[in-house]
Amino acid sequence: MNTTSLSPQDNPRRGSLACVGLGMTLGSHLTPLARSHIEQADVVFAALSDGIVELWLKRMHPDVRSLQPYYAEGKSRMKTYREWVELMMTEVRAGKRVCGVFYGHPGIFAWSPRNAIETARAEGFDAHMEPGISAEDCLYADVGIDPGRFGCQHFEASQLLFYERRIDNTGYLVLWQVGLVGDWSLTRFRTGPACRQLLVDVLSQDYPLDHEVIIYRGATLPIEQPRIRRIALRDLPEAVLTPEETVVLPPASPLKPNLAMRAQLEELDKAGAIV
Amino acid sequence: MTDTIEWLETIGKNANLRHAPAEELAHTLEEAGASEALKAAVKFEDSSRLSTELGNKPMKVDHNPHTGGHEEEGPDHDDGQDAPSQPPKPTPSEPSPGK
Repeated sequence: MNTTSLSPQDNPRRGSLACVGLGMTLGSHLTPLARSHIEQADVVFAALSDGIVELWLKRMHPDVRSLQPYYAEGKSRMKTYREWVELMMTEVRAGKRVCGVFYGHPGIFAWSPRNAIETARAEGFDAHMEPGISAEDCLYADVGIDPGRFGCQHFEASQLLFYERRIDNTGYLVLWQVGLVGDWSLTRFRTGPACRQLLVDVLSQDYPLDHEVIIYRGATLPIEQPRIRRIALRDLPEAVLTPEETVVLPPASPLKPNLAMRAQLEELDKAGAIV
Repeated sequence: MTDTIEWLETIGKNANLRHAPAEELAHTLEEAGASEALKAAVKFEDSSRLSTELGNKPMKVDHNPHTGGHEEEGPDHDDGQDAPSQPPKPTPSEPSPGK
């Protein structure tokens, strides 16, 4: 087999960007293709959830640069995320093959990968996103939820406070980053019970206060088990919540049949017009 | 000799080890000569015990601006202007990323 056509070596070097997901659990979730992006890069940037996972990544490449030092208390995370984009783009513009490695999925709840890819493409560079196993994927497996059964809404928790959103309590409701709910300053890494009480006030319009709330955290290290706690909605403000935990509300009402639409479908069926 | 990072990767991709009861995994690690920190972390089901060997690097896990999916129009936090401000007005064309 002639492998020369597979090699980019003959082409003039041009910078490129691949943002890949590492998955959630060390050793378990990294896809072969994401690993290949890491190993073939000239420089690797890392935004991971665990220092030990970062050590593992450093075994895969000699030049792994952690993005963690760009966070700071009192500094807007928006500024941090823009710095991440610029760090990656500086190397891309210098002709390097750059790989940005993000825990979970790089396109989910992650501002920088999406914006770095858009920037790179706008400047004429090749840029690619490689999916990873996300916290959402792990949640479905560990908690035993099938989003297809009753439907499933996902919100970044603060959206329910900042905006008037319509919650459908006949399906599952998954709330992300509840530990930070209500922070619009972008400078905090945690908010307190008063903010979560506001969230409960919003949710109590659609759920009884004794409704079950599931607090979930997936395993980061393969010697850990998923953590699943169940409390009443009214107890959410005082619950100890870490930034990486996710809150799930199971359905509170049965699905309501749409009789009018069913009748119309029946008419179509009788008329042989379904297909 | 397999070190702790290598052991974690091995456990992560081996179905028997990943889902073995803690006692059984601890026994396997004992026989294989794994580090004391790893054996303790498994035995006591407390991964923080790995810090004695691998250090403890606190990590921030937020990669998203929390402005309700309209981060491009969010408050200007650059140049030290990081004081809390009102959330941005919604722009329906920019849906929020999901998780």
